[in-house]
Amino acid sequence: MPFELNSELQYRETVREKTLFGGSGTMHEHPDDYIKPELMACCGAREISDGNVVIVGTGFPTMSANIAKHTHAPNAMLMQESGVYDARPERPALSVGDPCLNPGAAMIGGLVDVMGMFLQAGWVDVGFLSGSQVDRFGNINTTVIGPYGNPKSRLPGSGGANPIGSLAKRVLIIALHDSRRLADRVDFITTPGYIDGPGAREKWGLPAGTGPAVIITNKAIMRFDSETKEAYLHSYHPGSSVEEIEALTPWSLNVSDDVHETEPPRRDELRVVREILDPFGMIRIYESRGYV
Amino acid sequence: MNKVMTTKEAVAKHVNDGDFLFIGGYICRPPFAVIHELIRQNKRKLTITRSNAADDFDMMIGAGIVDRFIGTFLSLGLYGLARCFRRAVEKEIPHRIDVEEYTNLSLPMMLLAGSFGMPFIPVKDMAGSDILSVKSFMGDDKFKVIDSPFDGTPTVVVPALNPDVAVIHVQQADESGNAQIWGIGGDCKVGANAAKKVIVSCERVVSRDTIGKDPSRTIVPDFKVAAVVEEPFGAHPGYAPGFYDVDFGFGSLYQQASETVEGFRRFLDEWVLDREDRNAYVAHYIERFGYDAFKKLTAKFDYGYPVSYAF
Repeated sequence: MPFELNSELQYRETVREKTLFGGSGTMHEHPDDYIKPELMACCGAREISDGNVVIVGTGFPTMSANIAKHTHAPNAMLMQESGVYDARPERPALSVGDPCLNPGAAMIGGLVDVMGMFLQAGWVDVGFLSGSQVDRFGNINTTVIGPYGNPKSRLPGSGGANPIGSLAKRVLIIALHDSRRLADRVDFITTPGYIDGPGAREKWGLPAGTGPAVIITNKAIMRFDSETKEAYLHSYHPGSSVEEIEALTPWSLNVSDDVHETEPPRRDELRVVREILDPFGMIRIYESRGYV
Repeated sequence: MNKVMTTKEAVAKHVNDGDFLFIGGYICRPPFAVIHELIRQNKRKLTITRSNAADDFDMMIGAGIVDRFIGTFLSLGLYGLARCFRRAVEKEIPHRIDVEEYTNLSLPMMLLAGSFGMPFIPVKDMAGSDILSVKSFMGDDKFKVIDSPFDGTPTVVVPALNPDVAVIHVQQADESGNAQIWGIGGDCKVGANAAKKVIVSCERVVSRDTIGKDPSRTIVPDFKVAAVVEEPFGAHPGYAPGFYDVDFGFGSLYQQASETVEGFRRFLDEWVLDREDRNAYVAHYIERFGYDAFKKLTAKFDYGYPVSYAF
């Protein structure tokens, strides 16, 4: 009998069971054996609200969106730009085209479906982006380091980043916190943040109510000032400090009046990461990429 | 009409030097068998396009068959930056290529416009970015900003693309070219339908009756198709849902080889130039890594319910 519905149903049951653990009294404890990439993934998860439609890439975005889905936002719905909606992968996807995204998805189309019918048409609430360079207005460069015509380093290009940054209602940016990855001004605006400040997105005709909401780094969370559109320090991660972050940031960083320490990962969040999403600890690869 | 031929014949007959090619795929179903043949036949001065390009585009650029790239992104994904692409752009090795930059929204929309026979299409992205401040071989025809004829708002419009040939790899096609896919689509459907003709590479040639059992899966009708080639394992090291998995080890092998020009040339010799066709490639794969490694890539069977179109 080639039609094995059972394996599919069993998989669903397992996932459902694993999501139901959250009710114990210890879920809000903060274990101290976490690594920085886990903290960053949890910070990303907390930016997602229940019912959000989220467009994700691989790595942090998938991790964050799924932590949210398994904790406070069970009705957050995920899609990949390659054409997949509501995937149920059996292992962490290594790319947005990964074979594991196919079986079990609710819908599979192509780029025109996800980037056109969903994103451009205004249905996407949250998009995740990262970049080789991110500046104080949340502009992102993934095209070239150095002058475009004579690049020091040619990077991959926009891919889906520009449309996600242009059209998703809230954009969450993941970056390494150092003076090479953060910049006063990116070499090339692949993806517009607030471009050159207040009113710029409006002037360019980008949809109202869109733009970057947060930069999550390995040291801090930065948010954007509603007046100046500049990133300011919202919270510093455990082990870091306002002074360290100011020193690592290549522009004169404004600090929130109620700056505080970032909440470490909670037990329920960590359990989702370690037991459901990433049992083989693939997230550790980010440590070797400098996320410490 | 029976259009089944060898890949060698299809490429010789339907691809000319200087052609503009759409090459389908998104890790899912890259048409590697045909790409290797393009390199073996040393087609020159090609313009190539697709959204989210990967190792296949990097290889064509490294092999020197590409002059122009209408692209959005080119990387080796998991394995980092695309080495041949970088060498071409940064150091003109093996020669300079011109890159026209778009995005994973605008480029599929340009292909959509092409497939619909429209001259251009409005898009809502790219505004305010430097993608609009750099223009390459398309010059002022890369995009225009117009006032919407309906409400006067400034609107970015981009031109339709109509490639000379689309090369796609699909799970199955009949001998006249009705081509069926399942799984991640990328921009394959719009790219194929925008082209003036299509080369369909497939895992298996099936009967017209089999196509008719699930016609909603057909993405290109046979009248647009110039050639059908049967190439099992033809997307390797990419994957084809229901047939085989991504070969991550091979991806890493390519990345390491392509670190240097010499390494890349050796890789090209071993896997492309010294192999007569895809059968020889598969035989070499098994010889090099063993039959178990080859077999391990084979997809598990996990059928869904069969569909019924009966009334």
